[in-house]
Amino acid sequence: MSGEEEPKVGVFICHCGHNIGGTVDVESVAQNAAHYPNVVYSTDFMFMCSDAGQALIREKIEEKGLNRVVVASCSPRMHEPTFRRVVEEAGVNRYCFEQVNLREHVSWCHAREPKKATVKADDLVRMSTARASLLVPLEIKTVSIEPHALVLGGGVAGLRATVDIGSRGFNVTLVEKEANFGGYLRNLSVMYPNNENADDVIGRLVKEAESLEKVKMLTNSEIIDFEGHIGNFEAKIKNSKTGKTTKHNFGTVIVTTGFEPFEPEGYYCYGENPNIITLAEFEKIRKKGPLLRISDGKPPKNLLFIGCVGSREEDVKGHQHCSRYCCTAMTKAAADIQDECDEVILLYDDIRTFGRGHEEIHRMARTKHVVFSKFGEKKPKVIVKDDEIIVKWRDDLSCANMTYKPDMLVLTTGMVPPKTSEAVGKLFGLTRSGDGFYNEEHIKLAPLTTHTAGVMIAGAAQSAKDTTDSTTQASGAAVKAVSLMVRKTVEIESTVSVVDEALCSSCHTCVTACPYGAIAMGTTTDPPVAFVTEAKCHGCGTCAAGCPSGAIIMHHSTDEQIMTMLEALLQLSTLQGSEG
Amino acid sequence: MTVAGDKIDYSAMNPTETALVIGGGVAGMQAALDIADQNYQVVLVEKTPSVGGVMAMLDKTFPTLDCSACILTPRLSEVSRHPNIKLLTYSEVTEITGEAGDFRVKVLKKARKVLEDKCSGCGDCVPHCPIQVKNEFDQGLGYRKAIYIGFPQSTPLIYTVDTDNCIKCELCVKSCERDAIDLTMEDEEIEIPVGAIIIATGYELFDVSKYRRLGYGRFKNVINALEYERLINASGPTGGNLMRLSDGKIPKSIGFVQCVGARDVKEGVPYCSRVCCMYGVKNAVMAKELQHENVKDVTVYYADIRAYGKGFEEFYQMSKKRFGIKFIRGRVAEINEDSKTGDVFISAENTETSELLEQKHELVVLCPGILPPRDLKELADKVGLNVGPDGFIAIEHPASNPVDTNIPGVYVAGCAESAKDIPDSVAAGSAAAMRASITLSKGGAS
Amino acid sequence: MKSGKFEPNIVAFTCNWCSYGSADLAGISRIQHPPNAKVIRLMCSGRVDPVMVIESFKNGADGVMVTGCHIGDCHYSTGNYRTKVRFSALQKAMKVMGLHPDRLKLLWASASEGQQWAEGIIEMTSRIREIGPNPINGGGLVK
Repeated sequence: MSGEEEPKVGVFICHCGHNIGGTVDVESVAQNAAHYPNVVYSTDFMFMCSDAGQALIREKIEEKGLNRVVVASCSPRMHEPTFRRVVEEAGVNRYCFEQVNLREHVSWCHAREPKKATVKADDLVRMSTARASLLVPLEIKTVSIEPHALVLGGGVAGLRATVDIGSRGFNVTLVEKEANFGGYLRNLSVMYPNNENADDVIGRLVKEAESLEKVKMLTNSEIIDFEGHIGNFEAKIKNSKTGKTTKHNFGTVIVTTGFEPFEPEGYYCYGENPNIITLAEFEKIRKKGPLLRISDGKPPKNLLFIGCVGSREEDVKGHQHCSRYCCTAMTKAAADIQDECDEVILLYDDIRTFGRGHEEIHRMARTKHVVFSKFGEKKPKVIVKDDEIIVKWRDDLSCANMTYKPDMLVLTTGMVPPKTSEAVGKLFGLTRSGDGFYNEEHIKLAPLTTHTAGVMIAGAAQSAKDTTDSTTQASGAAVKAVSLMVRKTVEIESTVSVVDEALCSSCHTCVTACPYGAIAMGTTTDPPVAFVTEAKCHGCGTCAAGCPSGAIIMHHSTDEQIMTMLEALLQLSTLQGSEG
Repeated sequence: MTVAGDKIDYSAMNPTETALVIGGGVAGMQAALDIADQNYQVVLVEKTPSVGGVMAMLDKTFPTLDCSACILTPRLSEVSRHPNIKLLTYSEVTEITGEAGDFRVKVLKKARKVLEDKCSGCGDCVPHCPIQVKNEFDQGLGYRKAIYIGFPQSTPLIYTVDTDNCIKCELCVKSCERDAIDLTMEDEEIEIPVGAIIIATGYELFDVSKYRRLGYGRFKNVINALEYERLINASGPTGGNLMRLSDGKIPKSIGFVQCVGARDVKEGVPYCSRVCCMYGVKNAVMAKELQHENVKDVTVYYADIRAYGKGFEEFYQMSKKRFGIKFIRGRVAEINEDSKTGDVFISAENTETSELLEQKHELVVLCPGILPPRDLKELADKVGLNVGPDGFIAIEHPASNPVDTNIPGVYVAGCAESAKDIPDSVAAGSAAAMRASITLSKGGAS
Repeated sequence: MKSGKFEPNIVAFTCNWCSYGSADLAGISRIQHPPNAKVIRLMCSGRVDPVMVIESFKNGADGVMVTGCHIGDCHYSTGNYRTKVRFSALQKAMKVMGLHPDRLKLLWASASEGQQWAEGIIEMTSRIREIGPNPINGGGLVK
């Protein structure tokens, strides 16, 4: 497994069924690749990631003595781990594997230009085979996992995750910034789909958490600093009441920071009449007692609900998404309050009562004669005149213009990320999607892990959702944390930088460039040379790009490995490229 | 690795260290992996010859249009290679007794007639088999032999002899160089002690022929959504070429009919099936994507578009704006056929304009709702599990304990609990794994 | 092969976390854009050594794009601040090399901005079609 041996590159080009093969002339690309330097074997195959495809790679490594493998298929963001494992099983170091993205970057986005797409595919394969020849095996490193999990956010998701980890026998610390646990559920009265009291749900989980020996629960607390890597994170937790800051070590983290109900300022005269309230305010009132008008304390005779307030707004950033829980919550609220009122009207765009038991609530509301009216594309108009609330809209189904003067108007606002979500995201290295919620590692098959190894997300922190879906995710995220702690160690990337002492000119450029303070000047030599603390290095390569002496070697992303791709890119493809 | 059929003495497994997962779809596989990763043993029992479930049959997935096989295949091999997962495919659970920490499970291992430790999956036997039958995996649109694998990524990659159709000509036996085929093989019953159980038996689709007025089964160019998935799938019967089954023509105009066997009290399916809106929109987009020059018109007939999940609403808007999919709000009253051309007419009321429409399409896709699998009730009764009025496994505290059933030590994941999309099924699989591993770690005590 | 029409050859450096993701998303969402740009994936845009950009032009690239996370969103917290500083220096170098400043482009795109990626490529490609081949060393995808 030495880096000195003659590179023998194997190239495997995937059709991905029609996905690549339908656009790119895969056979030609494979045939052409056979002539590139150091390539000793090149082929195409229907599905490289299938068991048969993986077996082919292993077989050819053995048969042809391959020591570098290039797979041209889909995005490495999905399958790099898969293929790295495959080559490793056949005795090739995982860092001697290189993936080319022919699907996301070629066939899917150049579907109308198959010939040009084929040329680009050839270009990309040429670049990667050149790089592959210069790849070197790196030592595989493992780190230990501190058997202690951090759960951030004491809402229903955070509580669920805490209970699960504690019950499984691992240390867990739950950090909540408010004085009480329960998050948004503390404002709710009875919940869908089974009329359970929100307080009972929270009570059950808090009681269970408190009974567990390994659980530590902190209120009035915030994470003010967070660093480290999977297995060994260090968090500074500040108690906002005492002002005291403490340091803690954690092996894994689950972020369950939830959401905020959208404050509909500027929507439907909110704030102009006290009887215009949000669904969140409606719930708070109902939790304490009967619903009374804010203006005069009298019970309202009729009510009107408007759905999708601040949700599904195509042109408003952060408000394009559907908030998932509000249709059912609004429908249930309308059905419940119908028992106490003369008339309840509900204005909607689509009724999305999709979950288990939700459509049944929708049907019950209609049976109780809640009036449903679809406003469609054109949103309703609200006018406040003297003490009256006047709502005007076009009923899409009867094509009639309607006017109604409700005693109270309830605005059903959606979920938005908490104001702190940007700062918290930065602390944990989490990216956010267009709606502002945290991104998962993969939207389908890895919805709970993130791109920061060791950090999981669950509940409304990941995207708007109801309690059942949140607690399901919370248990799921808990198992990810537990698995890591059970295994005790985990492999980490070996892609760190090192300083070639002979070339270092002591300029300090790298020391200031490093975002993690991983580079310092040594004291044993004169003049002092820089050195990298590997455990602190995250592998970004900013130091290598800045070093004027070329003294920093960024493993797996060396100057030579990048430059050779450039040179290969700028040689032209021998495949014909013009269309038609 | 257990796929090669190492002789495992299942009866000797330690119940406090072993979980049973019933169902090898995406939820069951996730549950198995998350338990196995904790160094517990998992026995994963799957009824069909391969793991993968319905997801393996799908073409693309919403809302990102990732291809289903591409993201699922590595998961299949992960399950089959995991040292702590024992895979029992082509097997069914027949009896469960005992309690949390100490269940006894009887599994019927159906005779595959192919030796798991000898078959290399080469497929040399296939051309020798004289019997051709419809392939269930392709929804009966394509064909397979009596010795078969359902799909190329079948996991484990071991052939199966379909006893019902095999004529015992033994041509396959003679063709196999590895002597892997044994037509005398008989069903085998094994007993496995386990400490915790996860039900992940998935779902089946509503039989759309029950709505006679919608013409399914009577008109060739009225198909259901899963048939459509296979038609546009590269490893499906048409190699991914979207065409009509009646005449091989590329349909210029396609209609998608939503809520067929969902939100319908009369048909006994009062509930919403959660995924159909989005798979309908996705399939509509794929028609334009695959045949952008030929498919001129794609119309979706719907009641409400329930684009609820992360990125769904954005996808729905994109389908209108960028792909020009037409949406008509209205339940379809009737579908008729022009017997000469094979074209199909949809009669519907556009409830937004109160217009009565009769629209011609060259292909109509009915989007069926989701039902509990036929044998779920039977399985539930064996264990004493409560089943809800909708036929899915009942949950007592859905808000706080969403995967816990009424029996300690038994958990539920994925669509066995109610209709779910892929990420929600995956999350539920992980959640059930969490709960089951707690049961194991406490030796069954709650 | 001789062809009359000039097709620019563009190098696009991406970071692993944001801009590579946006390019993936453009593909996943099937947003069609010209195939002229080819991606070199690095972990961080801060890895782009100005020498690499200069070498690209010297070897005949018609355009170079440096892409990464939005300022403030860097996976390595501050890596892309360096990118920004180095990019300004490179813009000055373009003059010295006698190259049109539009041949060098900086693009920030998060992993959820597939549209921005595609638009960036469309814009860059059409701009370089206008400016013409790299005067230093030929340029173009076909000769």
